[in-house]
Amino acid sequence: MANEKEHGSGSVEPGDTSKRVGAEVIRERGVDPEELREKLIDAIGAEFTTYYYYTNLRMHLAGEEDYKEITEDARLEDRAHFELVVPRVYELEGSLPNDIRDFADRASCPDAEVPTPMDGSGEFDTSELEVEDILEVLLEAERCAIRTWSEICDMTRGADPRTYDMAQRILNEEMDHEAWFIELLSKERDGEINPAGHFARGEPGDAPYTKNNPFNDSA
Amino acid sequence: MTQSSDDTWTVTIVVPEESALDEAGETHKVEISEDETILAAARSAGVWLTADCQQGWCITCAARLVDGDVVHPNARRYDTEDREAGYILTCTAKPRADSTVVVEQYDEFLEYRAANNKPPGSSKLSD
Ligand code: FES
Ligand SMILES: [Fe+2]
Ligand SMILES: [Fe+2]
Repeated sequence: MANEKEHGSGSVEPGDTSKRVGAEVIRERGVDPEELREKLIDAIGAEFTTYYYYTNLRMHLAGEEDYKEITEDARLEDRAHFELVVPRVYELEGSLPNDIRDFADRASCPDAEVPTPMDGSGEFDTSELEVEDILEVLLEAERCAIRTWSEICDMTRGADPRTYDMAQRILNEEMDHEAWFIELLSKERDGEINPAGHFARGEPGDAPYTKNNPFNDSA
Repeated sequence: MTQSSDDTWTVTIVVPEESALDEAGETHKVEISEDETILAAARSAGVWLTADCQQGWCITCAARLVDGDVVHPNARRYDTEDREAGYILTCTAKPRADSTVVVEQYDEFLEYRAANNKPPGSSKLSD
């Protein structure tokens, strides 16, 4: 796959709009733009599904206003990650699946469901639902995202600076998110002080690295 | 966890000739404790196998178990049919016997999942 040497970008004739030099320069540098693009679709599938699932996780942190607020930051930033990378998929001549079920099924990270069974009437059975269980789901979702964007950094380093830049911006925020949920889970489950080292975002879901804001003005 | 993790197993990692890894064509023997995953042990031993989620979901780390026994206590999307078809997920697979695995089987496992109408094969390979 990645071993096979493909034709170079020099093969794009003047005026030829059927090929993109933007993709061919990546191929010339040893990365298969089609393989990369499919990986990006899987990765933003996970951003999109976590945006959905975090809505539900956040709601079930009933009465824990500080936890809800932090989960909301992580939720909105996952949406920002989806929005940041969608155009790149199209630049690399890919597209979003027409069926949202296909998009969710190929997401590179697990569904972050509320960790409780359903009762007989199709509602969540919340009788045994613990805050710490929700925090653990959130933490593991962030860890998956860190691994995914690290893989994409590895794939693109030295070959595709545009995708690399997006992936490393997202990775910055995913590492923030992991730190937040380690702090909260440590306190909630173990009674341990394990500081993230951060203060809250300025606005909910600020996304200091992945939106067109002044660069990390909360630092 | 009170159980001791004294048991270690020898896992033989076969990297296929056609894989994109630097180790293509090589075979590595790694000692793995029963609490350790094949992926983590291989990476610590300097064999950088491909992976992504490390939660037994995405199948990027798929391998074929040709001999031995493994368990997947923490895999999020892996079932007995996958196992019967000979596939394992190295990110969550922990040895329970001396074993031999052929790694870098993502494409093959994806085809298998697609042929059985299961994700992510069903959503990635259907036209
Ligand atoms: S890395 Fe995702 S299933 Fe193993
Ligand atoms: Fe994200
Ligand atoms: Fe996140």
